[in-house]
Amino acid sequence: MRIRNSRLVVALATFALTLGLAACGDDTVGGGNSDDVTTAKAGRATGDLTISNWPGYIDPGPKGTVAEFEDKTGVSVNYIEDINSNDGFFGKLQPQLEQGEAGGRSLFVVADYMAKQMYDLGYLQEIERDDLPTVFENILPSLESPAFDPQRKFSVPWQGGMTGIWVDTSKAPEIRSVNDLFDPKYKGKVTMLDELRETPALVMLAEGVDPAEASADEWLKAIDKLKSAADSGQIRKFTGNEYTEDLTAGNIVAAIGWSGDASLIENENAEWRMPTEGCTQWMENMVIPVGAPNTPAAIEWMNFVYQPEVAADITGYVEYISPVQGVKDILEKEGSELADSEIVFPTEEFTRNCTGQNTPPELERVNEAWQNVLTG
Amino acid sequence: MSVAARSWASLRRNALPIYAGFAVAYMLIPIVVIAVFSFGDTPKDKLTFGLDDGFTLEYWRTIFSNTQLNEAFTTSLRLAALSTVISTAIGTLMAIALVRHKFVGRRAANLLIVIPMATPEVVIGAALLSMFIYYTFALGFTTLLIAHVMFSISFVVVVVRSRLIGFDRHLEEAAADLGATPLATFRTVTLPLLAPGVVAAALLAFALSIDDFVISNFNSGTTVTFPLYVYGVSLRGIPVQVNALATLLFVVAVICVALVLWQQRRAERLAAVRPEREPAAPIPAPPAQATT
Amino acid sequence: MTSLRQRLVPYWLLGPGLLWLVVFFVVPMYFMGELALRSGSLTTGFTFDWAWSNFPDSLSGHSEQVVRSFVYAGTATVLSLLIAYPLAYAIAFRAGRFKPLLLFAVIAPFFTTYLIRTIAWKTILSDDSPLVSVLQTLALIPEDGRVLATSGAVIAGLTYNFLPFMILPLYANLERLDLRLVEAAKDLYSSSRQAFLRVTLPLTMPGIVAGVLLTFIPAFGDYVNAQLLGGTGQAMVGNVIQSLYLNQRDYPEAAALSFLMMALILAVVVVYIRFAGTGAFMGDEDEETSR
Repeated sequence: MRIRNSRLVVALATFALTLGLAACGDDTVGGGNSDDVTTAKAGRATGDLTISNWPGYIDPGPKGTVAEFEDKTGVSVNYIEDINSNDGFFGKLQPQLEQGEAGGRSLFVVADYMAKQMYDLGYLQEIERDDLPTVFENILPSLESPAFDPQRKFSVPWQGGMTGIWVDTSKAPEIRSVNDLFDPKYKGKVTMLDELRETPALVMLAEGVDPAEASADEWLKAIDKLKSAADSGQIRKFTGNEYTEDLTAGNIVAAIGWSGDASLIENENAEWRMPTEGCTQWMENMVIPVGAPNTPAAIEWMNFVYQPEVAADITGYVEYISPVQGVKDILEKEGSELADSEIVFPTEEFTRNCTGQNTPPELERVNEAWQNVLTG
Repeated sequence: MSVAARSWASLRRNALPIYAGFAVAYMLIPIVVIAVFSFGDTPKDKLTFGLDDGFTLEYWRTIFSNTQLNEAFTTSLRLAALSTVISTAIGTLMAIALVRHKFVGRRAANLLIVIPMATPEVVIGAALLSMFIYYTFALGFTTLLIAHVMFSISFVVVVVRSRLIGFDRHLEEAAADLGATPLATFRTVTLPLLAPGVVAAALLAFALSIDDFVISNFNSGTTVTFPLYVYGVSLRGIPVQVNALATLLFVVAVICVALVLWQQRRAERLAAVRPEREPAAPIPAPPAQATT
Repeated sequence: MTSLRQRLVPYWLLGPGLLWLVVFFVVPMYFMGELALRSGSLTTGFTFDWAWSNFPDSLSGHSEQVVRSFVYAGTATVLSLLIAYPLAYAIAFRAGRFKPLLLFAVIAPFFTTYLIRTIAWKTILSDDSPLVSVLQTLALIPEDGRVLATSGAVIAGLTYNFLPFMILPLYANLERLDLRLVEAAKDLYSSSRQAFLRVTLPLTMPGIVAGVLLTFIPAFGDYVNAQLLGGTGQAMVGNVIQSLYLNQRDYPEAAALSFLMMALILAVVVVYIRFAGTGAFMGDEDEETSR
C-alpha cells in the first residue's frame, strides 16, 4: 500500500503544482514585436563576426572568400553552415529572436519569403542604403527592387537559383515536365522537395495554374494530387538537400531539385532540366538579425562580397546565380565554362515561364495540409 | 559415430557461439563500412558514401583540416567529458543512497529516476526547450550540458545500483572491525570495489552524451556538436573526414578498453591471485552490468 | 540507534541528483503541459486559455502515425529480443576469455555517432547495393523491389540502433543466473527445452522486461530512422512532433502530442510490468537482502 500512496502523492503534487503555477503564468507568449525596428550601425569592421549560411554556399579553405575577408579586414570570421531549411532554421532560432537575440550571429542567409516573415515579426534590423555603396553599385538591376523589400531595407541578395527537375538521362531521358514525374512507370523512383513554395507550386504550374495568383483551394488541390501520389508510392520521398544522394546512389531516376547542385551529384548522367512549363526562381538574402553583436563587420562583409572579383570566386565554386554584375565577364576571361552556362547565367528567355517563391493565401491552413502530406 | 553425425553434433554444440559470431559481425557491419569509406577518393572532397573513385589516404592525412568539423568534435568531447564527470558523481551518490538506506520517499525517488528513461528524447528535448524559452535562458553549451547530465543521471544510477546490489557488505564490516572510520572504509574498500561499476556507468554516460542527437538538436542554439554537424552536412554531402574521425573515435575506444583489460590481467597475474571462476569473471563487470 | 544525522545521510546523497532531475525534467514537463493548453500562432502569440481540446485534436489528427510507431517499435523490439537473447546467453556462458571483447563489441557502435551509423545503413541498403541484389536473387524481395524507403528499412534501422539496449540488461541478468538450477532441473529428468522454458526463462524475466522497455520506449519516439531510411508513408510520431515544433511552429499541438505520447508509454510500461512482473526495474527493496 505504501507503493500506491507515494506514487499518488507525487502525481497529485505535480498536478497541483501545474495548476498553481498556471495561474501565475504569462497570458500571452510570442507574437513578435514589429513596432520598433532598429537600424544596423555601420562603422569600422573589427572583432569577431559570426555568419550562418547554408552548406556549400561559399568557397572554403585557406584561399577562399572567408579567408580573403579576414586578411583584408582583420575581422575573425566564424562561418557556420547550420542552415538546412528555412523553416527549420527559423524554428530553431525563433525563441531567441523573440527575445531580441540571435545566438551570437550577426548575419545569416535565408530565402525571400523567410526574410519577409522575419522582418514582419520584428526579428531583423534595417540597413542604411548609404552604408552599402559597393552593393548598390554592383547589384543586378533586376534585383534592386523586389516585391517583398522594395527599398532593399533589410535584405541583400546572396545567391539565387532555380528549382526544376534533375534527370538521370541514362535511365529516364524523356522526362521534361513535372507531369512526367507522375507517370506510373517511374513509381518509387522519383523524389520531390519538401518545400511548400516549390513542389506544390511546380505541380500547379504543370497544370496551367499560376502560383502567384492561385487561390487557397487551388493550392490544396495540388497538395491533394501530391498526397495521392505519395500514398500510392509513386513519390519515393520528400527530401531536403538529400535528393543528391539518391541520384548519386542510383536510387531514383528523377528528382525535383535545385539548379546549382551539380557539384554534389556524382552521377555524370544527371542533368538539370528546366521543366517545359516553367520553374520556380528564388534568391537567398543576407540579413542582419536583432541582437547582432557586430553589425559594422556584417555590413563590411556585404560590401565585400559584392565586389565583382570576389563574387566571381564564389560563383565559380558554388555554381549558383550571382546577384552581382560583371561576374560573367570575369569568368569568361578566366576561361571558365560556367560563363556559358544557362544555369548560372540564365537569360530572360530561358526563365520566361518561371515564377518566384509564392506564399499561398490562408497560409496556416495550406501549410498544415502540406505538412500532413510530408509526415503522412 | 559417423563423420556426418559427429560434425552435426559438433555444430549443434557450437551453434550458440557460431550464432554469437554472426550477431557480433552484424553489429559491426556499419562500422566497417564507415572505415572503408574513409579511404574513398572523391573530387571536391565532399561525398556522401562512395568508393568508386579509388583508394586514398588523403582524408586521413587531412583529418583535422576541416575547422568546423574539428570545432564540433572538440565541443562534443568537452561536453561529454563534463557531462560524464558530473552525472557519474551525482548518480553514484544517488545509487548508494537508494540501495544502502531506507527512507521516506524512496519509492518516489526511484520513480523519478526511472521516468526520464521512459520518456522519448523528442519529448525531453522539446520540454527543456519550452522551459528555456520561458526563462529566456540563452541556448548554448550550458543548456546542452544541463540536458546531457539530466538524461545520463538515470542510467548511471541504474548501472551503479546493480553493482552495489551484488556487493559483499562483509568486507566493509571487516574494515570497520579493524578500526577504519566510515570515511576511510568508503575510500579504501567500498570505492575501489565499486570502481568497475562506476567506470561502466561513466563509459555509458560518455557514450550517451557523445552520441546524442535529438535532445541536442532542440537545445543547442548555435553550438554545434559532432552529431549536429553530421546532420547538417549529411543533407549536402559529408566531408570524408567525418568518416575518418568516426573510425578514429572507434579505434581509440577499442585501444582504451584493450589497455584497461590488459592492465587488469597484469594486475591479476602480479598479485598471483587465481580467481575460482573463469578468468574473465571479474573483468567484464565494467561494461557488463550496464542497464537493468 | 540511528541518529538524526544518520537519517539525513540519504537525503544529502540524493539531494543534488534529485534537484537536477526536478529542475530539469519535472519542471520542463510542467512547461510543456502549460504550453499544450495554449492556443494561437506564432504571429498572434500563444494565449493561455485552457485549451484542453488540443489533446484529443492532436491525437486524432495523427492517429495513423501513432499506430505506425507502435507497430514499428513493437516489431523492432521483438526482433531485437530474438537476436539479443541468444547472443547475451552466449556471452554470459560460452564466451570464456572473449567475454569483455564481445561486450565491448556490443557497445562499440555507440562510439560512432547514431547518425553516421544510420547513414551507413542507408548506403548498405541502397537500391544498387550488393546486399539488395542478394535479397532479390533469394526472392526475399521482388525483382524490382527496394529496401530503402520502406517500412522494412525503418524497422531494420530501429532494431539495429537499439540492440545494445536489449543486450546489456539481458546480459546483466543472465550473468547472475545460477546454472546449477538448470542442472538441477535436468537431474530431475527435464529436457533441455523444458529446463529453458521453466527455469531459465522465468528467472531471466526481469532482464527481458528491462530490455524490452529500454528498447521499445526510445524506438517509439525515434524520428531519425524514419527520416533517413524511410520514404513517404513511414513517418512516426517523432517525425510529427518535430515537424510541429520546428516546421509548423504549432507549439501547443506539439506539446499536447508529446504529452499524450508520454502518457501512452507510461501506460504501456505499467501494464507490462504488472503483467511480466518485476521489481528489478523499479528498485525493489528485496534486491539488497536477496544476496
